[in-house]
Amino acid sequence: MNLLIHRLDAERTTNPSAIGGQLLLVAAIAAAVGGLGLALDSATSVRRGLGHACASGAAHGCFLAVGWLLAFQGRAGWWGPALRESVALIVASVAARLSPAGAVAYLLVPLVVARDAAFWPERLDRIGWRWPRERRATLVGAASGAFLGLHLLFAASLMLGYHVEVPNPRRYLAAVAYDVGANALTVEWLFRGVIFSMLWRRWSFWPAAVVSTGLSLLRYLLDPALPQTAELIAGAMFYMLLLGLGSCALRAWSGSLLPGYLATVTFFAAYRILLV
Amino acid sequence: MIWAALGLVALIAIALRAVGVEQMPALQNVYLVPVLWAALTRGTLGGVLAGLVAGLVQSLSIFPFIELVGLSWPALGGLLALSTPLTLGLTVGRLVDRDRGRGAQLDALLSIQRSLADSALLTERLATVAELTRSALEVDRVRLVLETGHDASVAASAPQSYRPAERVPSAGATPCRRLVLGLDAGQGPVGALIIERDGDLPTATRGLADALALHLSLALENARLTERQRHFAQELEEKIAGATRRLRELDQAKNEFLSIASHELRTPLTALQGFSELLLTRDVPPERARRYLGHLHTESQRLGRIVGDLLDLSRIESGRGPTLERVSVDLGAMIEANVEIFASQHPRHQFEWKGRKLPALCADRDAVDRMLKNLLSNAIKYSPRGGRVRVEAGPAADKPEMVEFTVEDDGVGIPAEALPRIFDAYVRIANPETAAAPGLGLGLSLVRGLAHAHGGSVEVESLPGKGSRFRVLLPR
Repeated sequence: MNLLIHRLDAERTTNPSAIGGQLLLVAAIAAAVGGLGLALDSATSVRRGLGHACASGAAHGCFLAVGWLLAFQGRAGWWGPALRESVALIVASVAARLSPAGAVAYLLVPLVVARDAAFWPERLDRIGWRWPRERRATLVGAASGAFLGLHLLFAASLMLGYHVEVPNPRRYLAAVAYDVGANALTVEWLFRGVIFSMLWRRWSFWPAAVVSTGLSLLRYLLDPALPQTAELIAGAMFYMLLLGLGSCALRAWSGSLLPGYLATVTFFAAYRILLV
Repeated sequence: MIWAALGLVALIAIALRAVGVEQMPALQNVYLVPVLWAALTRGTLGGVLAGLVAGLVQSLSIFPFIELVGLSWPALGGLLALSTPLTLGLTVGRLVDRDRGRGAQLDALLSIQRSLADSALLTERLATVAELTRSALEVDRVRLVLETGHDASVAASAPQSYRPAERVPSAGATPCRRLVLGLDAGQGPVGALIIERDGDLPTATRGLADALALHLSLALENARLTERQRHFAQELEEKIAGATRRLRELDQAKNEFLSIASHELRTPLTALQGFSELLLTRDVPPERARRYLGHLHTESQRLGRIVGDLLDLSRIESGRGPTLERVSVDLGAMIEANVEIFASQHPRHQFEWKGRKLPALCADRDAVDRMLKNLLSNAIKYSPRGGRVRVEAGPAADKPEMVEFTVEDDGVGIPAEALPRIFDAYVRIANPETAAAPGLGLGLSLVRGLAHAHGGSVEVESLPGKGSRFRVLLPR
C-alpha cells in the first residue's frame, strides 16, 4: 500500500512555482548585469571589451546560480554561494580581458566553488560533487576528452585545412584557464551536475542524458563566441553531442562530475589550438 | 578487454594510413574485427564503445573524401560504412547480453531449485535464494518475503543486513531504483520479491526479474508444500510413536492389572475360603471361631472395597459417574478420624493434621472418605521408609468458593514425565522402592473421578526423592 500512497519522486519540490519565480529572478539579474556591461562597452570612456567580459562573467555566473538554486530546490541558502561565485567569475572575466595573465583569476573560481560546496557535502553529493567511485574514471574521462580533441584536430586539418600548430602560448593558456574556471566548470555543474542528476532520478539514463545534452548544445549554439559558419557549427554540435553524452555516461558510471569535467577541459584544450 | 579492442582499432587505423589504403571500402571492414571482439567479450557496452571509436577513426578518412567528391553514391557508401561498426557492435552486444542473461537466468533457476530442494530450514534456504537472485539479476539488493500461511512471514535479504526503507532512498550521487514483484504461483500470493539497484533498472533486468519471480513463486510454492508435507509426516510419525507408546503402556498396564488384580482378589478369597473351611470342617472353640469370623468380615470388606472401586471406576470411565448423595460433611472430623486410624496402623509414619477455619462442605460423605483414604493410603505406600504425612484442610486461598484438603508426604516422589499420567486408570509408576506395594493403580484415578463428579478437581506437585503433595478442591 505504501507503494501506492508514496510519491514516486520523493525529491520533487512541493512548490514548483517558488523555483520558477527564483529562476526568473536569477535570469533577470544576469540579463541586467549583462545588459549593463554591453551598454558600458558602447560608452567611449570605458576600455572596449570590458562590458562584454562583464556580460560573459554574468552569463557563467547565471549557470552556476541556476545550478545552486535547483540543487537546493529553491530552499534558502543558495544565493550566498551563487552571488560569491558570480562575482568571482565577473572579476576573472574582466581580469582576463585586461590582460591574458589576468585569466589566471579563472583558476580561482573552482576553488571558490569547492569552498562553498564544502558546507553542503550531502546536498551536493547528489549532483555528483564528490570524488569518483573508481580512480580510473578520471583517467577514462581525460582519455575520452583527449580522443575527441585529437579527432577534432585531425578532422579539422584534413577537411577544413586548419593548420595544427602551437598557438600563442599566453593567449592559449588564458583560453584554457577560461575553460577550466568558467566554460567546463559551469557546463558540468549545471547540465551534468544538476539537470542530468535531477532528470536521471525521475527518468532513466537515456532520456535524462538526451535532454541535458540538448540543453547544453543550446547553450553553445547561443554562445556568441561560436564561429558562425555552417560547417563549424555542425562540427561543434557533433563534438558537443558526443562530449555531452560521454560526460553523462561518465557521471552515471563514476557518480562524480570530475571525469566529465576533465573530458571537457581536455577536449577544449585541443579545440583552443585551432581557435586561438 | 575493451582497452585491447580500442588499441586494435587504433593499430588498424595507423596501419591503413601508413600503407595509404585507408579509403578503400573493402579494407574498412577490418575495423569490424575489434568491434566484434569487444561485443562478444563485453556485450553491449563493449560493442558500442568499440563501434563508436571505430566509426570516429574511420570518419577521419571518409569525411575528407566526402568533402572532396560531394554527396555522391561512393560518399553515401562511406557514410554507411561509418555507421556499420556502431550498428554491428550494438546488435551483437545486445544479442550477447541477451544470451548471457538467459544463461544466467537458467543457471540461477537451477541453483534456486537446487537450494530450495535442500533439507535445510526454509529461512536458511531463502537466504541462499536471495543471494542467487541478486547475482542472477545483477542488482545491488534483494529481499524475499514469503507468506508461511500459519504464522508470521519469513524473509531473507542479500546482503543479509538489507532492510528496505519505506521510501526508496534518494540520497547519494546515484539514484536508486526499486522493483517490487508479487510472487504468485496461481493459487494466491506466496510472497514478494523486492529488488533494488543503484542507477538504472534496465528493461532486460525487469523482464528477467519478472520471469524469475514466476519461477521463484512456483519453486517456493513447491518448497512450501514439501515443507508442509515434511511437517505433516513428522507430526504423523510423532503421533504414531506416541500412540504406539501408549498402546504398549496400556498393554503393560493390562498385564500388570491382571496380575495384581488376581493377586489382590486372591488374597481375601484365600482367607475367606480357609477360615470358612476351618469353621465348617473343624470343631472350633467359640472364642477362636469369633476371631475367625472377624477375619472373614475384614477380608470380605476388603474384597467388597476392591470390587466397589472397580465398579465405580467402570461407571466413571463409561461417563455415568458415581451416584452422589450430598449431605453436610464435617470434613475436619472425618480427616481427624482417618488420621487416627492410619496412625494407629502405621506407627513408622508421623501424621500431622492441621485444619484452618473449615467451612461446611456439601458432598457425598462416602466419596470424600474414599478420596481421603486413597490419598492417605498412597502417601504411606509411597513412603516405604516412613516419614511425615501432613494433612491440611481449609478454604482454598486462590478459589474462595472451594474447600481444599491436601495430603503431603516425604516419599519417593514422582518423575516429572510421569505426572501427566498418574491420574490415569491402572497406571503405577515404576520405582524399585515401592514395587512390592499392593494396589491396582486405581486409587488416584478414582480420586480424580470422584472430585470431578463433585465439580472439583485434584492437583499434584512432586519432586523425585523429596515427596508429593496432592490437593483436592471441592465446591462448598
